[in-house]
Amino acid sequence: MTAETPPRSPRSLYLHIPFCSQRCPYCDFAINLSGEALQDRYVGALLEELKLLRGGTRIELDTVYLGGGTPTLLRPELLERLLSFVFSQFSLSGSLEVTIEANPEGITPEMVRLWLSLGINRVSLGIQSLDDATLRWLGRGHSASSAVDAIRSCRVAGLENLSCDLIFAVPDQDSGGFEASLRRLLQFHPEHVSCYELTVEQGTPLQREVKAQRRTGPSVDAYLRERRLAVELLAGAGLDQYEVSNYARSGFQSQHNLTYWKGLPYLAAGSGAHGFLAPDEGWRLGIQGGGGGLRYWHLRDAATYIRAIAAGGRGIRGHEWLSAAQVELERLACGLRLSEGVDLQSASQLARARELALMGLVEIAGSTVRATTGGVDVLDRLTLELSAA
Amino acid sequence: MPSHTTEHIRNFSIIAHIDHGKSTLADRLLELTGTVSERDMTTQVLDTMDLERERGITIKAQAVRMSYRARDGQDYELNLIDTPGHVDFAYEVSRALAACEGALLVVDASQGIEAQTLANVYKALELGLEIVPVVNKIDLPQSEPATVAQEIEAVIGIAADQCLLVSARTGAGVAEVLEAVVRSLPPPTGEQGAPLRALIFDCKYDPYRGVVVYVRMVDGVLSAGSQILMMAGQGTFTVDEVGVFRPGMESVTELTAGEVGYLIASIRNVRDSKVGDTITETRRPAQVALPGYRQASPMVWAGVFPVDSDSYQDLKEALERLQLNDAALTFEPETSAALGFGFRCGFLGLLHMEIVQERLEREFDLLLITTAPSVAYRVQLREGTAVEIDNPDQLPDPEKVEWIEEPRVKVEVVAPREYLGGIMELCQERRGEFGHLEYQPGDRALLTYDLPLGEIIHDFYDQLKSRSRGYASMDYHLSGYRREQLVKLDILVAGSKVDALSAIVHRQQASNQGRRLVQRLKQVIPRQLFEVALQAAIGGKVIARETVPALRKDVLAKCYGGDITRKRKLLEKQREGKQRMKRIGSVEIPQEAFMAVLSLDR
Repeated sequence: MTAETPPRSPRSLYLHIPFCSQRCPYCDFAINLSGEALQDRYVGALLEELKLLRGGTRIELDTVYLGGGTPTLLRPELLERLLSFVFSQFSLSGSLEVTIEANPEGITPEMVRLWLSLGINRVSLGIQSLDDATLRWLGRGHSASSAVDAIRSCRVAGLENLSCDLIFAVPDQDSGGFEASLRRLLQFHPEHVSCYELTVEQGTPLQREVKAQRRTGPSVDAYLRERRLAVELLAGAGLDQYEVSNYARSGFQSQHNLTYWKGLPYLAAGSGAHGFLAPDEGWRLGIQGGGGGLRYWHLRDAATYIRAIAAGGRGIRGHEWLSAAQVELERLACGLRLSEGVDLQSASQLARARELALMGLVEIAGSTVRATTGGVDVLDRLTLELSAA
Repeated sequence: MPSHTTEHIRNFSIIAHIDHGKSTLADRLLELTGTVSERDMTTQVLDTMDLERERGITIKAQAVRMSYRARDGQDYELNLIDTPGHVDFAYEVSRALAACEGALLVVDASQGIEAQTLANVYKALELGLEIVPVVNKIDLPQSEPATVAQEIEAVIGIAADQCLLVSARTGAGVAEVLEAVVRSLPPPTGEQGAPLRALIFDCKYDPYRGVVVYVRMVDGVLSAGSQILMMAGQGTFTVDEVGVFRPGMESVTELTAGEVGYLIASIRNVRDSKVGDTITETRRPAQVALPGYRQASPMVWAGVFPVDSDSYQDLKEALERLQLNDAALTFEPETSAALGFGFRCGFLGLLHMEIVQERLEREFDLLLITTAPSVAYRVQLREGTAVEIDNPDQLPDPEKVEWIEEPRVKVEVVAPREYLGGIMELCQERRGEFGHLEYQPGDRALLTYDLPLGEIIHDFYDQLKSRSRGYASMDYHLSGYRREQLVKLDILVAGSKVDALSAIVHRQQASNQGRRLVQRLKQVIPRQLFEVALQAAIGGKVIARETVPALRKDVLAKCYGGDITRKRKLLEKQREGKQRMKRIGSVEIPQEAFMAVLSLDR
């Protein structure tokens, strides 16, 4: 199958920090609003779980990712306790990437300096937009000016790897909103930008409003127009698209997220977190069985997760051993998202790829296939076409 | 071992409309006679197929033997042969009735006699069966047992005071039913000493034991070791086992005249045990076979094709197996340019077709595409010969055709008077011709219409139900053929004709139908990676066109940790849907598209 065999031990670690100050109307993540009281016990539980996951083996990490939720809501001493534990328990590679997700409101240079002093070297800032009307529509708690302040704080503190999230194809906004946001953002020269189109997730307040027709849902026209605009403007500023929604200057691609798309194993700890282990690593979770890889996920509620860990468990909600066919489907689904493309593994796959190339949806180079700009829009179908071959 | 004389045997079936409580009554009888212990009691004991239980209907006839000590102190052997109630399965009823001396007529106390029930009662009377009327569901608040009993008296001529009033649900009056079976129904006649004659009224295929033949013994004795001869089929076999249904198969040493049971004789070939045939003994063959009954003939035909062309042989074997349990199913090989190799299958009606398709998929794990059902047209050719066409694609070119005749049916509808207006309107819309109208006791009426068969095979029954709030019932039989102005409507997908989508339609409705058909196809054909043109054409002339626009976007913005599993599951589901589709040229067409012609709004 693949030319190189995947490493047995995970080289990436995801830590979920579920606390948020508010629930955004489009969000369906595992978060907890009443965080303050839980924080101590939650971090304690995380450390317990990490010990179990490591299981006395040596693991060398290339990346650590603190996601949420809003990890920056964690009290500084807890953040320090967590990171120093990670750095003492795991070996660290020379090019370690440590990312923290942050919301713009209230971010000061001092906070950023603290993160840097704790070993964090990458910040992913959820600014979403630099247009106040769009931010109001999204129900975000911050304004365009506070987002700009946050970016400045990062730069003033000396952060050299800044990523900013933008949301596009937001209804009821003329497309000028996104273009202006993007142009303004580029003035701050971020190393990395993620552009996500607004997605109406099941069970969110936004979905209920769209369903009740109190709000318009996102339109495909706006998606197509604004995504092409993003590709063009960002490339012009030296940030090349390397994944469906991600753009970076050379050398600043998210190493952590690349492990997801390349099908590499990664550890995950904390409520709601999803992890992926190599076929012979089920013992880390105390799970028997085998297959092409083990996906596992945690209890979504932080308090329940804490109780499960306290009772000696791992807070795991479920797991799934992947079959070879499932591994292959995931390989295509994730690999096609990358601009570097994915390997074709059979003559029939190559034949199908050639048909798709004639339609202008993919490009083939040697044994690699990659989606064109038009192909990226219909990536699910391309995945199905290639996986059926 | 106590030897039964025919004096103590009663063979009966139950005639009832769907939902009038036949299966519940049968369950109660089994309970009361201790045939099924309370512990093993499931609802609808006799409906053994998953499909039957799910749909709450009986598809296959079943037999069961009950032992009953009557109030006269004597022991009786009661054989109940259960029958289906849906209009599509009327032939199963005739088969069951032919094996009985009597029948319980079960009528819902709040509904009255339905058209279908009436048709079956007449069948039973023609066969000389004794009828015991049972008015069921008397526990329901809206029940009117007296009115229904009056109606039975008026329509069938059995005195109202002879009706048994029961509630199969609560069990009230059910004991009286058993007594009536013993008292009112005659024992079977037949001679133990005469040469063997046994009627095959059903059979089923058992993967381990071969064919299980359901028999009604008329004369003689049958036991393991008997050398038997199928009088029509001419096959000879040695009997391995005989037995009875209680309700599971239970072997016995012999079956004697009058009894109902089964035999197993290592019969492997489907065609060797024809339902309706008479079994006799090679040693001492009977001179005259029993009157068989008319083989039910298909009313509609449709192509059945494996989605995966490698499954052709599996489909063939599956159809052969099903045919063993389903005498009305016919099939012959068919080749379609669009769908490849498959079979042209004949069905009794649409429910029958749906059930066959579902059984093929469930029991034989096949993925199938079924084309829209068609009736059989008689085509008179200019050169002088006539052909019968049950596949629209085979309709010869118009210049070769002198005329086309379409089959018509006489439809009998029983409904409360207040719904007659809506029902007559429905019949007119379907090119029907009024026959006659007759009022019955209560508030009901019997209405007859002459309609093209092609107009009633799809949703006529559903429409009838919806326009009468469920109160109307129908029965139909072929009444003949009539010349009509019919044309073939072709469908082109991405510029190529798809033979499996062709339909025969009335000239006056052709352009309208063509337009609506491509509109409907646009709704059911999913977006492809490119634009797809849909055209309707008559004789090469395009009369309507629609376009399925290309898929524009399906990618999702985020694919991190947990999104991957979600995405994979979605893709797996889509892939499953894709596997159900047939790739024709470069376009993937789902099953619904082939049925689109049936679901055009009128």
